[in-house]
Amino acid sequence: MKKAAIAAFAVMAMCGTASADVIKVGVVGPFSGPFALQGKNFKAGIDAYMALHGNTVGDDTIEIVYRDIPAADPAQSKALGQELIVKEKVQYLAGFYFTPDAMAVTPVLKQGNVPMVIMNAATSAIMKTSPLVVRTSFTTWQTSTPIAKVASDAGVKKIISVVSDYGPGVDAENAFKKAFEETGGEIVEAIRMPLSTNDFSPIMQRIKDSGAEGVFAFLPSGPTTLGFVKAFNDNGLKAAGTKFYAPGDLTQESDLPALGDAALGIQTTFHYAVSHDSPENKAFVEAATKAIGKAEELSFPSVGAYDGMHVIYKMIEATGGEQDAQKAVEAVKGLTWTSPRGPVSIDPESRHITQNIYLREVTKTADGKYINKEVQTFEKQGDPGLAVAK
Amino acid sequence: MQTVFSIAVDALAYGMVLFVISIGLSVTMGLMRVVNLAHGGFAMIGGYIASYVARDLGLGYALAVVAAVVFTILIAIPIERLLYRRIYGQPELTQVLMTIGITFCIIGITNFIMGPTLKTIPLAPALQGSADIGFRTIPIHRLFAILCGLAVALGLWYAIEKTNFGIRLRASVDNAAMAAALGVRTEIVYAVSFAVAVGLAAFGGVVGSEFLPVEPYYALRYMVTFLVVVSVGGAGSIPGALAACLLLGAVDTTGRYLMPEFGEFFFYLAVIAIICIFPRGLAGRAK
Amino acid sequence: MSGDSSVSNTNSMTRLRSNFIRRDLIGIAAIIITALAGYLLFPDNLALLTRLLAIALLVLSLDLVTGYCGVATLGQAALFGSGAYAAGILSAHYGITDPLLMTLGGIVAGVVAGLVCAIVMLRAHGLPQLVLSIALVYLFHEFANKASSWTGGSDGLSGIMLDPLFGVFEFDLFGHTAYFFGVALLLIVFVLLRILVRSPFGMLCRGIKEDPVRVRALGASPHKALVKMYVISGAVAGTGGALSAISTQVVALDSLSFTQSAEALVMLVLGGTGSLFGALVGTLIFMLFEDFVSAANPFHWLTMVGALLIAVVLFAPKGLYGTAEAFLAGRKKHDGETRA
Repeated sequence: MKKAAIAAFAVMAMCGTASADVIKVGVVGPFSGPFALQGKNFKAGIDAYMALHGNTVGDDTIEIVYRDIPAADPAQSKALGQELIVKEKVQYLAGFYFTPDAMAVTPVLKQGNVPMVIMNAATSAIMKTSPLVVRTSFTTWQTSTPIAKVASDAGVKKIISVVSDYGPGVDAENAFKKAFEETGGEIVEAIRMPLSTNDFSPIMQRIKDSGAEGVFAFLPSGPTTLGFVKAFNDNGLKAAGTKFYAPGDLTQESDLPALGDAALGIQTTFHYAVSHDSPENKAFVEAATKAIGKAEELSFPSVGAYDGMHVIYKMIEATGGEQDAQKAVEAVKGLTWTSPRGPVSIDPESRHITQNIYLREVTKTADGKYINKEVQTFEKQGDPGLAVAK
Repeated sequence: MQTVFSIAVDALAYGMVLFVISIGLSVTMGLMRVVNLAHGGFAMIGGYIASYVARDLGLGYALAVVAAVVFTILIAIPIERLLYRRIYGQPELTQVLMTIGITFCIIGITNFIMGPTLKTIPLAPALQGSADIGFRTIPIHRLFAILCGLAVALGLWYAIEKTNFGIRLRASVDNAAMAAALGVRTEIVYAVSFAVAVGLAAFGGVVGSEFLPVEPYYALRYMVTFLVVVSVGGAGSIPGALAACLLLGAVDTTGRYLMPEFGEFFFYLAVIAIICIFPRGLAGRAK
Repeated sequence: MSGDSSVSNTNSMTRLRSNFIRRDLIGIAAIIITALAGYLLFPDNLALLTRLLAIALLVLSLDLVTGYCGVATLGQAALFGSGAYAAGILSAHYGITDPLLMTLGGIVAGVVAGLVCAIVMLRAHGLPQLVLSIALVYLFHEFANKASSWTGGSDGLSGIMLDPLFGVFEFDLFGHTAYFFGVALLLIVFVLLRILVRSPFGMLCRGIKEDPVRVRALGASPHKALVKMYVISGAVAGTGGALSAISTQVVALDSLSFTQSAEALVMLVLGGTGSLFGALVGTLIFMLFEDFVSAANPFHWLTMVGALLIAVVLFAPKGLYGTAEAFLAGRKKHDGETRA
């Protein structure tokens, strides 16, 4: 039984898909649950790409198979990844919002002869777990490093770091600390608060007492962000002139209407703003908005998914539809293109995306919408986090 | 010293918000003996209605609060008649299963109708901004929340201890059959209590939305907090719930100020310590 | 269940025993048949089925304390997760990659966690007890999050390596080995638990659930018995955790979470408490339903799961297995007794 199954699988893998076949891409993401909005953005980005570029590469038709993981759950992720490879016979795995979910699947890529294209999960170390992983999103190190320069350019010398106590938060703290201390600044205190924190007043009191001129903050996008920013304003820190710096997760576009005026003036660095001014982005936003339904729900995971599909299409082109994970990954190393977010390329060494990081400020447009307005560009940023990753 | 006062004020405000949101649950769990895990769901519905009325219709905060309470109760009435009535007096685990099912449905339907994004409730102009209370400034909506908490506590205490309805309610709780024999229409008493509990949930959801923002997973995200607060207080006791909220609010706030990285530990260790000392909750009565 | 006179009592006891043994055999056969059917019908879905086996062990362990002893807990995942982390850490940090030793490590950790939980949990009853269990599972969760150099924190513990089982069977992509390993573990646990629940000790625990005061009056210590049961439950949950760690080669914080605990409780009540079959049936139906609905409509399945739970309370108040059993028993009796 077992041998038969392996033999069948091997035959299938070797023959691959000769011509005019259906190539399946398995996408794992949070399509329900508290993070459903981010999963929806995955789907919107993928739909947008397929709407603009068709659903065929050469003679082959691309079919997307979605699998849902509501919250970080690596055991489930692994099971779904195996199911997608073994049962659905997908040639590509993509998506992955959470780092542990991606890490759970990387060990089976080689055996399954399947490359993985990460559309969000932002921990640097994932790239080290398998040579078959390519990432088109960002890392927390990548987006948190430039903001240190922004702070130091503004003449801020003392900063307090406040992050949520989990992997990405700790990453953000380390990245900022390293970059800020290199500019000669001082981190007066580094606070890690539990993810479940609802009331941020005591934290604001700590910030006040620390005597810092500015705050560096990282919280996962969503409800806690709202509480944090409101507490920052309500407790008089904004009025007192304390500077607020953060990576762009804090001001993702779908949270901005809720944040409202409270967010005005917050400076963040990130790889993508929906308001980015370029013809590519205009086409993308139009298609993605159509796919997602409501314009205000569009935010950064959609662009990671869009570019992820671009990479997958290139992989299929390069392999001619044959299942060859190694060849597919080799083919996109060094790939350069113009993404909706600006010029990007896949770094041949790390297989992570090299991209511009933008400094943005939350502003209100003439028609009353809140946007992340890009005010400064840090060109061709790689991932500084990989060097320090274990 | 100033910091101590400052923390105390924050703790008071946080505790009061917890109280306003969870006191309705104390009523259902203590007086009606229903482990209502869908409580947060009703608070969330209230928040959504208020957001719709105040933000999308632009009708103002006061009207939003009233509309939230009224419409949430209207939504809850058929749910009570069709579903809750079946689980009065059932084993706790059955109630847990049913109310978790209701919570899932509320979340799924809300997500479908209102979308997954955060919703805010614009405050009345009078509640915006901060007030100077001598040694620091405090957001006015926090003062408002503290006042609401006090008003709710007093109102409920009066209703249960001093009114005719309160007597019938307590009679129905202690011995439903006997109360019915004496002419108390227990069905109506239960329905009214349920409506009050749901109304309080909606009210708390609106007042507390500055702390606990309204989004579809509200119902699950804070379910544990509500359950813990009520049980620590002793289900059904208003002074107990108030004491528990203030105590846990203080522990939480102080813990987060002193050692934020161990914030969770403080909170839950306090819960364990309190229950080990008071196995029936702070104001729990012997069965 | 009670006889009229002492004579018929002994008779009914022997009948009861043979009845039990018959049901043991039926149970074992049912598990084997279901396992084989799963293997033959879904040969490409073994990873999910193995996950189901691990969760089934968790639900069984929960049944021991909740169904048999009446201790309501929303923190059972603390025991499950401890087992999973222990097995994972043995492999990832100490290079102990033998699956059997890892399982043993999981059992030991589950036992220790069970002991800790029992000591805290048994200080209260009813609702406060439920809240204690919640507090405990959050403490375990936070602890694992803090000890990130050991557990990988929120990124999860990866790098779990495995030797082939008995030096022969590789744990591979298709998951055959993991599946059969899981089935074997479940069978062993099931048989041991069947023996346990009808031993005098098992009966004592049921008695405690019904009336602790009377049990104390009979001279037995409910507290001691409950601690013992909790420890056994920890061993079972730890086995499940270890199986999860071995089959997926990752462990993450969600295995120690409140959500996992609550889901297990939902599965147990869905199947029917106080019966090992109920626990298995509940797990099977809930996980299959969830998998089916979430694959059919990943965007809106939560509502359907909620509707299922409500329907079960309305139409099968004793849980699916409990109600089916009552229905069959009612028909078998054939004496016109109507059952709700």
